[in-house]
Amino acid sequence: MPELLRPEDRLGLLAFLKDRFGMAPSSFEAYHIYAFKRQAFLFRRQPGKIDFPKSSFVRCGLPFMRLVAGYLKPTTVFLQRFGHLAWKNILHLDKAQIGRLCLEGEIDLGLESIDAQEIETPGYIIIKTGEYILGAGLILDNSRILCRFPKAMRQALVHINDL
Amino acid sequence: MDKFSLFLADYKGLIPDFNGYLQGLKRPLPLYYRINTLKIGTEEAKSLLRSEGIWFEETCFEELVLVKNHDPPPSPVLSYHLGYIYPQALSSCLPVKALDPKPHERLLDLCAAPGGKATHLAQTMKDMGLIVANDRKLGRITALMANIKRMGITNTVVTQARGEHFTWGHKFDKVIVDAPCSGIGRYRMDETGHIRHMKPGKTDLPAIQKGLITKGFDLLRSGGIMVYSTCTLNVEENEEVVHYLLQKRRAKLTPWDPPVPWSPGITRFKEKEYDKGVGLARRFYPHKIHSVGFFLARVVKA
Ligand SMILES: C[S@@+](CC[C@H](N)C(=O)[O-])C[C@H]1O[C@@H](n2cnc3c(N)ncnc32)[C@H](O)[C@@H]1O
Repeated sequence: MPELLRPEDRLGLLAFLKDRFGMAPSSFEAYHIYAFKRQAFLFRRQPGKIDFPKSSFVRCGLPFMRLVAGYLKPTTVFLQRFGHLAWKNILHLDKAQIGRLCLEGEIDLGLESIDAQEIETPGYIIIKTGEYILGAGLILDNSRILCRFPKAMRQALVHINDL
Repeated sequence: MDKFSLFLADYKGLIPDFNGYLQGLKRPLPLYYRINTLKIGTEEAKSLLRSEGIWFEETCFEELVLVKNHDPPPSPVLSYHLGYIYPQALSSCLPVKALDPKPHERLLDLCAAPGGKATHLAQTMKDMGLIVANDRKLGRITALMANIKRMGITNTVVTQARGEHFTWGHKFDKVIVDAPCSGIGRYRMDETGHIRHMKPGKTDLPAIQKGLITKGFDLLRSGGIMVYSTCTLNVEENEEVVHYLLQKRRAKLTPWDPPVPWSPGITRFKEKEYDKGVGLARRFYPHKIHSVGFFLARVVKA
């Protein structure tokens, strides 16, 4: 069953978002954060306590972050909805670069282009094209960008440049 | 005679402009996109759709557009995968409009998968309040969860239970029972006169629907509102189910003025006569609304 995060764990998650993307922790006051099956979920705050029914419960809220071996991994679906609250570590790619990233799973943009966009490496990034937030990526070795989009989305965006 | 021929014979005199209905069966089901206003403004979404090669017409609902490309239309890959649109028939928007959910309310969608109405409820409530989205089938719940994620919704709890046995710690302000049905409203005829979208099955649907409507009603707080809907057009799965509820519980139908052409619920069919209140239900015929045929009853708990 899902468990409401302890206040110190909640603060830890929100501090990560502030540190990495500049998102203000106060933006999430209207949400509970639950942990369930090694994932954190953002669930709209409810006026009273909710007793989820054991026999039928499947999930609550939006997958927010994965909690894996001490690492926090923001999900694409969270960033698509709340990424507008971020002001740093946002990487802009054109459609041809998105297509390549989705096809190959990673691309190397070269140091210059990463520096020009003021991306801090290594760590998670928000990938945008034009004005649209696509989702999560990971930057490693200073300039390697790894795709962290859901599989179906990644497959669909391979041909984005031809559309 | 097959089941659908029997249906046509029985309803010839009841369906307005019956010839128009038959002609309409030969046209493909129109495609609509609902814009997810939780993630994008309607104008912004429309301009992205245009840039993806989609031509569309506005509809009576601001958030819904009717695709006008000749089939097959191009696939709006960005709009779809960024969760800006949900392909949804105009008829499918009607239960949410009839329920008119408010941001602070607690709602139950008893047969929710794959989530067309649940995700529409969420955007109408501005992702506030609570939605419990339940379904019986695990496979369909997977699709429901994928849609909730894609649309970026946080106010929903997903449960898996037979609706008839569903339990929760409190009653709900509003309930939707979008029941499993024979789907006659979706039927279309191919060039050979063969009916498409016909569902096989020997299940006793009216018995299931009666169980679901009664449970949905029991889960309402007093003064609460429930919408019972199907995408089928026969009396047995619609008026007769609502009549059953009116006999069993202190339920009342309330009128609703839909923004699309409708006909009143049928109160007399063959030798049967139903509670007069059933006339307040709404029938939507596919040729009249240019979408899937639909039935809807808005019930209040006294
Ligand atoms: C018409 S569909 C619902 C469509 C959905 N409301 C939407 O807008 O996307 C009916 C659903 O009822 C579910 N169902 C069938 N029998 C059920 C039962 N006894 N209890 C709950 N759900 C049931 C089916 O799995 C199916 O997903």
